[in-house]
Amino acid sequence: MFRGGWLAAGIGLLLLFPLLSPDAYLLDVLTTGFLLASFAASWDVVGGVAGQVTLGHALPFGAATYACALLSRLAGWPFPLAAAAAVPVAAAAGAGVGLLAAPLSGPFVALLTLALAEAAHEVAAGHAFLSGPGGYAWGGEGGIPVALPWVDAPPFASYYAALGFLCLTTWAMLRFSRSGTGLILRAIAGSPLTAQASGVPIVRYKLLAFSVGSAFAGAAGAGFAAHVGRATAGDLSLELSFQAATAAAVGGRGTVVGPVVAALAFHALLQGLSLPPAVRVMAYASILMVTLRFFPGGVAGTVREIAARLRVREGSRRSRGRRDRVGP
Amino acid sequence: MSPLPQILLDGLFAGGAYALMAAGMALILGVVKVINLSHGAFFSLGAYVAYAMAARGVAGPAAAVPAAAIAFAFGVFLGKSFVNPARSHPFALPVGTLACALLFEQAAQLAWGPHPLAVDGGVPWAGPLGVAVRRWGAVAFLASAALLGGLKLLLSSRPGLPLKLVAEDEEIAASVGMDVEAVRYLTFGGACAMAAAAGALLAPAGAITPTMGRLPLVLSLIVVIVAGMESVGAVFLLSIALGILGNVCAFYLSPQWSYVALLCVVALLLAARPAGIVTVAGRRD
Repeated sequence: MFRGGWLAAGIGLLLLFPLLSPDAYLLDVLTTGFLLASFAASWDVVGGVAGQVTLGHALPFGAATYACALLSRLAGWPFPLAAAAAVPVAAAAGAGVGLLAAPLSGPFVALLTLALAEAAHEVAAGHAFLSGPGGYAWGGEGGIPVALPWVDAPPFASYYAALGFLCLTTWAMLRFSRSGTGLILRAIAGSPLTAQASGVPIVRYKLLAFSVGSAFAGAAGAGFAAHVGRATAGDLSLELSFQAATAAAVGGRGTVVGPVVAALAFHALLQGLSLPPAVRVMAYASILMVTLRFFPGGVAGTVREIAARLRVREGSRRSRGRRDRVGP
Repeated sequence: MSPLPQILLDGLFAGGAYALMAAGMALILGVVKVINLSHGAFFSLGAYVAYAMAARGVAGPAAAVPAAAIAFAFGVFLGKSFVNPARSHPFALPVGTLACALLFEQAAQLAWGPHPLAVDGGVPWAGPLGVAVRRWGAVAFLASAALLGGLKLLLSSRPGLPLKLVAEDEEIAASVGMDVEAVRYLTFGGACAMAAAAGALLAPAGAITPTMGRLPLVLSLIVVIVAGMESVGAVFLLSIALGILGNVCAFYLSPQWSYVALLCVVALLLAARPAGIVTVAGRRD
């Protein structure tokens, strides 16, 4: 679908966009969209490529934003150092989830990841951290502000930084999903039993998928903390995990680029129309239910199925033609 | 005076009504062989219906009847149009039913607002030891126990045979002339009605919010993971135990900690018993 130059043309348009329209609001919407699209792609590494359907992918994302906020604000680390530390924190959180989820199969992975992320969300929403000097309480629903080295980043700079981040992380995830390891993960997603029979240590590879996907989610979370400047309980919410799963289901699970395009399109459309958050979540949910109803294997999976069926029919027609020619 | 007897009694009442909801979820798992993550949304739907009825002067357990009817209609629609066609795909079911739950939560927020609502439960009776016996609680407990008794009777009698046969082997059920698809979506609708009835009965118990259904959903998940579909009695006792646990956590810590405690129980259960808890449809994809 994205073969050839279409992707390059899209990137070119996005590079050109800030030069055409100086509207700061639209730039801000797209900047957030780039970071969430990278997050959706990281969902796809776990849920699409490796086939471990997680409904708690917000956990590593939120772990990274909270790590950024706590380390920079309470521990006084400079922001780049805190952001660099947030990625391994997210990867460790993902590895912990993976350790528990790896022996499970099917919907139980979804249940477990959902339960863990919801527990983290409740704790973050209810817990108040005390700041050092002023004794002023941060945390709870209001979240914790991140100490950033800049006061008001120019929207242009944030836009191009986020776009660069999206391109870089998508390229890295694409490389990972097409590597030998990615192929093994796809085998596990296709049939865990067959993979195991071929000598793949599936628990270790599932753990790897959770760790790598969570590290990328953490990178997106660190970028989000830098852009928004605040870590809130919403970063750990079920709605965020769900948005990523929706983008992946519509864009095509296992394609990495598809979820990026879908997430960016949804975010730009729904946020650009400045709908209230409740309507936005409802739109996501409706899109997902309709998609799953008519493409239960995901859009990419169903299209691939139909293409395979057409190819088989074409093949049988061609072989029949050949037989006719051979006949008397 | 120790607050413990009061907490235990309230937990017992709440747990009895949760059992009604959990039994519905177990029925869906047994007959339709899917995990329904939208079950909590039907619970909140029931509570909102009870609130709307109370605002119109119909207080008390009578609200459970319209709540169940509305939920049955939506449940049949969801079962027929979404769950049945998508049930063989392991990705579609958990994500799709979660989508349905989020859709309801946001719709409820638009319709009734995000702030908590309350239904007046009436004056409690004074019991022994200074314990207040809440009327709605006693009614909810007795009504749920009666409905569960009816379910047990149904499952052990001739009209309940299609449910058990479809749960056991759908091909044999189809070969003896049963409409398997209809059994599935009717079961789904009936189970959703049970969740909504539980929600309507428990509406006076606490704040009615769009996300109030998440705690009973997690509680039901624990119950079906441990007890399965077969034994209605085990579902009942386990729900009461978890209802008391939730109430104890809510009193001694804070209400949101009872949700966290139940989430931790689910995670621990899944981690401890990873293989073959119950059979679930979906080997394709």
